[in-house]
Formats: sequence, structure tokens, C-alpha cells
Amino acid sequence: MRAEELFQHLAEGLYVAIFVAVLVGALRRLTRVRLDLVLFFGDAALIVIASTLVRALSILPVVAVTDLETALLMALPYLLLRLVGDFMAVPAWLMRGAELGLLVAVVLLVVPAPLPLPLTLVLVAYFVGLSLYAALAFWRGARRSSGVTRRRFQAVALGSGFLGLDILVAGLGAALPAQADLWGVLGPLCGMASGLAYVLGFTPPTWLRRAWQEPEVRAFLGRAATLPHLPDTHAIVAELERGAAAATGGSGATIGLFDEHADALRFFDASPQRAHAPVGVPAGGEGFQRTPEGWRLAASARAISARALRERRVLLAEDVAREDPANAAAYAAYGATAALAAPITAGQKRLGVLVVYAPRAPLFADSDLELVQLLADQAAVILESRTLLDAAAAAQARAEAGRLKEDFLSSAAHDLKTPIAGILAQAQVLQRQLDQHPGDPRAPTGLARIVREARRLRALVLELLDASLLDQGRLLSTRESVDLVEVASAVCARYARGPVPCRVEAAEAVVGWLDPARVRQLIEHLIDNAIRFSPPGAEVVVRLWREADAARLDVVDRGIGIPPEDVPRLFERFHRGANVDDRRFAGLGLGLYLSRGIAEAHGGRIWATSTPDGGSTFSVRLPLQARPTAAAPAPAAGRAWTNG
Amino acid sequence: MGDEPILVVDDDATILSAVAELLDLEGYPLTTATNGAEALQVVARGRPRLVLLDMRMPVLDGWGFARVARDAGHQLRIITMSAAQDARRWVEEIGAAGHVAKPFEVDELLTEVRRVLEEPA
Repeated sequence: MRAEELFQHLAEGLYVAIFVAVLVGALRRLTRVRLDLVLFFGDAALIVIASTLVRALSILPVVAVTDLETALLMALPYLLLRLVGDFMAVPAWLMRGAELGLLVAVVLLVVPAPLPLPLTLVLVAYFVGLSLYAALAFWRGARRSSGVTRRRFQAVALGSGFLGLDILVAGLGAALPAQADLWGVLGPLCGMASGLAYVLGFTPPTWLRRAWQEPEVRAFLGRAATLPHLPDTHAIVAELERGAAAATGGSGATIGLFDEHADALRFFDASPQRAHAPVGVPAGGEGFQRTPEGWRLAASARAISARALRERRVLLAEDVAREDPANAAAYAAYGATAALAAPITAGQKRLGVLVVYAPRAPLFADSDLELVQLLADQAAVILESRTLLDAAAAAQARAEAGRLKEDFLSSAAHDLKTPIAGILAQAQVLQRQLDQHPGDPRAPTGLARIVREARRLRALVLELLDASLLDQGRLLSTRESVDLVEVASAVCARYARGPVPCRVEAAEAVVGWLDPARVRQLIEHLIDNAIRFSPPGAEVVVRLWREADAARLDVVDRGIGIPPEDVPRLFERFHRGANVDDRRFAGLGLGLYLSRGIAEAHGGRIWATSTPDGGSTFSVRLPLQARPTAAAPAPAAGRAWTNG
Repeated sequence: MGDEPILVVDDDATILSAVAELLDLEGYPLTTATNGAEALQVVARGRPRLVLLDMRMPVLDGWGFARVARDAGHQLRIITMSAAQDARRWVEEIGAAGHVAKPFEVDELLTEVRRVLEEPA
């Protein structure tokens, strides 16, 4: 057997083998893509069988058989074009043109007269043109996808290119019979190359598929390795979605997390990581329910995500809109035609679903399903480890909160007992003194001490009550027109003769509609705090100014500062600074917690900045709300204020 | 019974004054300190008959005072005065002779003082 014959047989064998493979696939589950594959390779296989029969029986070519063979051959590029149409848009005029061309070719070939050479060449050009168009289309498909899909597209593009070349060679053979030897070798060579490329594209062996898949999976895993340490589950899900979309070459991916109690899937809403709602989560489509955290989909819904979760297997919807018509508009809005959904499970536990969307049905659904399931399995590992981390962190936070609360209660009890002990002892001593020596000269001092301790006790009890009011959201009572500069100046004035003077810096009055008692309490506390933590001789500066529609207040001290690790927790309920000796600084330590409560109850906020040992600055921003015109009597003449 | 004073240690001015005046009314000689470090200076000048000791104080607290004094070889009789829950346990920790829980009745304190003073040293 000569080499070219070997090539010829090899090519024929490959085409028949692919036909058998795609036929088996189509019989298992018939889809449009699979039908078109069967048509294309069935056509090719028939040509092979016809020519083999002719050769084997050593009969002279029967006209009918030859005509049939030629007609089948001319149908090949048209069928290839149909296949292209399955995964990308083919212009309608091209499709119609191809159909018309096919019709003309068949009619011409069946006419029992040898075709003039120019006409043969036109037919060859028709065939070659369509094949090369298909090759280019597949090549474009390859560039838009990644991983196995990309390789398979590339193989199919090569196969189509060689198919076109095969016919081109046949045409050249007719036009230039002088080089018959050359064409005799080139033709079968192209045929074999095309067959081989199609095998790799349409029925790649498993080992090859794995090798092609590896870089994508590796890239996904590389990104995924650090995910469990991202700040929140939102961020992890968004990152996984990005990774899955990139790895599969899909137009988008969505992860729904399974909520066992609600028996529903939860889809996160637009988050900082995601500019728009997740693909495939329709705005209020059937089965989807809006919740504060995002969208909820009952596990019993028709959408492919819910089905994959229920059936615990990877699913393909070539036309999501047809399978879930109620949400068709939403899928269309995201340009999602096909969807692949894989359950994310850890053992028996269902964690959620990974859905990858594509604008067209995948040409190589088997590879894509395999990859999506692989990614879902990796997502399961990541989500599960995140859940464990979350649970551990939550338990730790609970224990910490409990410990802080216990510390606070025992410390508060101690702090309350101390003034009571003073009052009780001093009062009883006074009694004894007056019993033994009426008019004891020490009596007035003792009485003064009792008053001082009683005031201290009152302050502590009020602090506790305020904290309780704050927790109930009842901190504010009345609102009045309050000039913050006036309040700050009055508070500062009390320290004028103390070791740490206080100075107010303000260019103008800063007037707002605020709770006067609470705002005073807030300013008092901040100034008090600043003075208490300042060394003698240092100065506390209170700066007040207006910033847009808000008041800004800075209380700046040159005191002991705040260790950086304390800054974020400064305003927490049971927190006391690590460098605060709480015996020296009276109070229950609720002051900053209450200050934050007062600022926030007014719709403002409070924060601190500090350089340890360089002092601290406590800053407040309070919205200067307009005085409600209806709720209060008209302002007295001359007491109007502007509100920006 | 010598004339050694009773040492009262408390950082709370009101309690310190009240206890001092009470002991004075009862005829006990006394001296005062507002924290553990001051108390150690007093002890260094001469052993008090008894120490009425607050536990939570700045600079040097009750434990610190008791430990340093013991390490320095001073045999002290101590009555702890504390508002804390764990005060009973602390009595054993520092080897105190007695305890009063704040807030206390002055009679309670005097009874405890007398009881400890009557014990053989």
C-alpha cells in the first residue's frame, strides 16, 4: 500500500470513528448541537462508506453512487456552517446563501453531463470558502474561551481548515492535471490531518482533556488558596464567581449559598466587589425573593440552580430561558442563553450551587460540565474552611464579649461600693463624734465628705442608667436650638483655674437642633477626659467649626495618648484603655460609649486619632438638622439661625 | 500592748479619713498611707500593731505591699478592707489575720480590729 493510500484510509477511519462517538452521545441525550454533529459526521461517514464500497467491490463507479457521494460531499460545508451557528451567530444571509449554493451544486452534479471546468472551480470555491469561514469562526471561538474548550475549538478550527484544503487540492487537481502526483499525495495528507484534528476536537481522550484543563484549574486553585482569609463571605463568593467565570470562559458565574433552615438558596446582592446584581438572579423573577442580604430562591424552584441543588448533580441547560420561562427576560438581560450548574457539597452537606452562564450553548458541554463540577468541588473546600474559621471567630468573640461584660460588672460593683463605703463609714463616725463631743470641730469636714461621696455615687448611677437608655434607644429627649460654641465655652470655663487650662477656638457660632442636655454631656465628657489624661501645664484645645450641613468638634489634648491597638475599640461598651489606671480615673468607663451613643443618636459620629505619648484628638461630627417647622413654635424674633 | 500605731492604707480619701477618725475616737494611735508604697515607708520606720489594708490602689496595691513587706522580713498583722467579690480568697493569699467587706458598719470594723489585736502575735 502506498503512503497516500494509507493516509486516505486513516482519514476515512477517523471520520467513521468520530461519527460513531457523536452518534452514541446523541442517542444518550439529544440536543441541537449533538444532532448537528451527527449530521456532519454522518454525512462524512456515508461518503467514506460509499467510496469504500466502490473500491472494495472493484466495480466501475456507478453513476448513481458517484452522484450521491458528490452530493454528500457538497453538503459537508453547509453542515459545518450549521455547527458554527450553534455556538455563535452566523449572519442569516450567509446561511441562506449556503443553502442555495448547496441546492445549485446538487442539481448541477446530478445533471448527467460532465461539468465544464470553470463551473467545477466555482463549486470548489464555494466549498473551500465555507470551510475556511467555519475554520475562522472556530478560531474566534477559541480566542474567546479558555482551557479545554479553547484547545478543542482550536483543533476543530484546524480540522475545518484542512477539510477546506483537501477540497482545494481536489479542485487544483482538476485544474492542473499535470501535477497529479503532487495532488495525489497532498489530498490524502490534508484529509488525514483534518480527521485527526476533528478527533482531538470532538472526542479528545481523557488524558488530553485533563492536561488541557490543568492550567485553568491550577490558576483557580492559586487564587482560591488565600480566599478563606478574605474579610467576609461576600468577598469570597465574589472572588470565586470571578475565578469560575475566568476558568470556564463563561460570560459570568453566580454562586448561591444554601440556607438549610429556609430551604433556599441565597444570592448576594450587588456588593462592592460586584457592580451589578449577579447574573441569572432576576429582579423579582419567579421564585426569587428580595431580602436585605440579597435574593432568596426556594430550593423547590424551577431555575437551574435550584434543580442542581435538589438533584445533587451537574446540569446543563442549553436554553435557560426555555427551561425557566418565567425568568426568561432576566436571563436575556444578562446575555445568558446556556447555563451549567453544579452543586457545591461537602460530604452529605449541601453548601450551595455554582452556576456558569454562557451566551451560547457550549459546543463541548461534556468538558465544561466536568470543569464546572471540579470548580464547584474546590469552592466547597473553600467555603467549608471559611465556615469553620467563621464559627471559631464567632465563638472567640462571644467568649471575649462575655469576659468583658463580667469584668465590667465586677468592676462596676466595686466602683459603686466604694462611695457607699465612704458615706456609711463617714456618717457613722460623725454620729459617734457628735455623741461623744457635741460640736466636734471635725463634723463639717465629715459632712462635706459625705456630700462629695453621695455626688460621686449619683454620677455613677446616672452613668449606668444612661447606658441602659442608650441600649433601649431612648437617649435623646427634647431638641432645642443649641449653640455648641456656647456650651463648650461654659464647660471650658470651669477649668480656668485648674492645672490644665481649656481653650475654645471657633470663628462663629455653631448652632443646631439638638438635645441640649445630651450634647452638653458629650462635650463635658470629652473635655473632662482630655483634662484628666493631661499632665499639669498642658493645654486642652476645643475647635468648633461648620462643615457643610454639620458641626465639627475636635478636642485636642497633649495627654497620655491611646495605644494604637485600643483606638478601634475605644467606644465599645465594656472597654477600658490598656494604659488607663482606672483607680486614678473615676467613673465606670462608659463615658466614651455614651459619647458615641449621643453622637449617633443625633445622626452623627465620633472618632479618635492618637499618637501614643503625643496626646489624642477626639472628633465629633453632628448634623445640624433644621428646626422642624411644624413640630415647634416659631423661633423668637432675633433668634433666627441659618442652617446652610 | 505598746504604743505602736495602727496603719490605715486606702487610696479613697473619704474612707481613709473616716477610718482614721474612728480609730482616733476609740483611742488608738494611728498613721495613714494612701497606697502600698507609702505604707512600706511607714513600715520601714517602725512596725505598726496592725495594718488596715485596702487592696486595689494605684502605685502599689495591697498584694504588692504584703509581698514586699513579707520579703523584707516584716511580720505584719493585716486586716484587709475590700469591696471586691474575691476579697475572702485574697485574705489567705496574703496571709491576712482578718477581713472587712466594703461597705462596712464601723462596729464591724472595730470588732474585727479588737479580735485581731487580742490574738497572740
